[in-house]
Amino acid sequence: MTTVLTNRWPDGGVTVTPYWVYTDVAVYQRELERIWYGKHWLYCGLEAEVPKVGNYRTVTLGERPVIMARYGEGDGEISVVENSCAHRGTKLCWDRSGKVDNFTCPYHQWNYELTGELTGVPFRRGIRGEGGMPKEFKPSEHGLNRLNVEVVNGVVWASFAQDTPSFRDYLGEKMFDFYGRIFNGRKLRVIGYNRQRINGNWKLMLENNKDPYHAALLHVFFATFGLFRPDQASQLEMDEKGRHACLMSIFKPGGTNDVAGSLAALDDTLTLQDARIIQAVKELSGEETVRANTIFPSIILLQQVNSMQARQIVPKGPGAFDFMWTHFGFEDDDEEMQARRVRQANLFGPSGFVSADDAEVVRMAQEGFEEQAHDAAALMLMGGRDVASSNSMATETAIRGMYQYYRSVMEL
Amino acid sequence: MQDCNDIAPTSEALQLFYALYHEALDDVRLDEWSGFFTQDCLYQVIARENWDAGLRLCFMQAEGKGMIIDRVQGILRTQQFGPRTYRRFFSGLRMTGTESTDILVRQNVLLVQTLMDQPSLILLCGVAYDRLVRADDRLLFKQRIVVADSELIENSLIYPL
Repeated sequence: MTTVLTNRWPDGGVTVTPYWVYTDVAVYQRELERIWYGKHWLYCGLEAEVPKVGNYRTVTLGERPVIMARYGEGDGEISVVENSCAHRGTKLCWDRSGKVDNFTCPYHQWNYELTGELTGVPFRRGIRGEGGMPKEFKPSEHGLNRLNVEVVNGVVWASFAQDTPSFRDYLGEKMFDFYGRIFNGRKLRVIGYNRQRINGNWKLMLENNKDPYHAALLHVFFATFGLFRPDQASQLEMDEKGRHACLMSIFKPGGTNDVAGSLAALDDTLTLQDARIIQAVKELSGEETVRANTIFPSIILLQQVNSMQARQIVPKGPGAFDFMWTHFGFEDDDEEMQARRVRQANLFGPSGFVSADDAEVVRMAQEGFEEQAHDAAALMLMGGRDVASSNSMATETAIRGMYQYYRSVMEL
Repeated sequence: MQDCNDIAPTSEALQLFYALYHEALDDVRLDEWSGFFTQDCLYQVIARENWDAGLRLCFMQAEGKGMIIDRVQGILRTQQFGPRTYRRFFSGLRMTGTESTDILVRQNVLLVQTLMDQPSLILLCGVAYDRLVRADDRLLFKQRIVVADSELIENSLIYPL
């Protein structure tokens, strides 16, 4: 299915995004076809979520429900199949997670291997010689749709396209290096999940995490307690295509100087009763104390202080997305570190001192787009007109990078 | 070990405690919120998914009164959010037992949110498992754990419950 689009991108190239990229249903349909179901790797989950053979977990990729399962012998391998019976489309697995030997559809008991092959069709030969499937019915032609899968240092990636380049090539060497600073093969442990529905277009959340310009202006908590300020050393890197980015910065204790003094948001009369929420222990390689990896289109992998999260985007039409947070640590974390990660999670999620600001701003941005003229456009001129790495926080270069790629894949 | 009858509040006293607690929050008198807690309290709003699986991640957590005060400072002086009204409804309030000097209470909770120009909606429903203690002849939360059934929080959960 190919949607026909008559939208014309306004003058200004990657320094503008027309509001219709956030509101138009036909544009959204093309995004599903070309981006979500195209040659892109989508975050599916952590290997630690399906530790033993037979463990499965249900996830939504794009708008399509899938099952991630561990199959085989010994440590096994990971498969990802669509959660939809080949018979009548009924959802096979209804729980969020579980342990099974195989998948059986509750409706007519069609039975599948964990890798999706159809192994059983009740009454295939009929009942006492009457009814049943036609003789030429071949179970091998009616398996579950199986996705392309790569497991990279504990993270499960899936793609609906079978010819997607390897995950490492997809990220490019530079982004793959940043990815490896969090995911270096050390075994992970899930700390928990938070879920929210944000009433804004899915791309807005990627933009938000590629945008150092907003971080110290919107987030008073960050600026006030020195977690993210424009006078800190920072680095913003992208892959060659501009679609992924890594935004990094180094913590600097509070205090006033020429830059900090100009921040209206900074409130230096504010102190914490209990400062443990911002007290971090160094545990990863590299000097940066915050890193936000946006891996187009489905995930933001973010580390700040000792909190680490996978923030998964599940689009729900042009005007909303579900934001699924998986907080994780390392399998060998001691009790103190586990408690620290849970404590610092107060910064993030639907009630986060910082993240709640983003959900609210995205909601208000979407309201703006829907209420404005169809031909209006958002402006992204901070830090120039090009797409290049930056050491300044006064830049929107990584958002321009994403739209440079977006326009090529969307042919817009 | 004290006799249960020595510490158990009357149901009227329990009702009044919760009515005053919810009134303070509904009226956004957040500076009064920490006054309902002991110094070493534990406060959590946690998703049922995590609670059932023994996972510790919360929406909000405060270990001690200091973090309760920090939460209020965070909301009032650092967070950016659109204007809203939260109204809290509790039902099925029941003392389920006592442990040492702790009074164990459970109740269902419902949080209704009203945003500007929008119809009211249920933002969260769940159950609270509380531990109350007596201090100077009044009740205080030693522990309040709200387990949220709600699978998805509509945008954000700003104020506590």
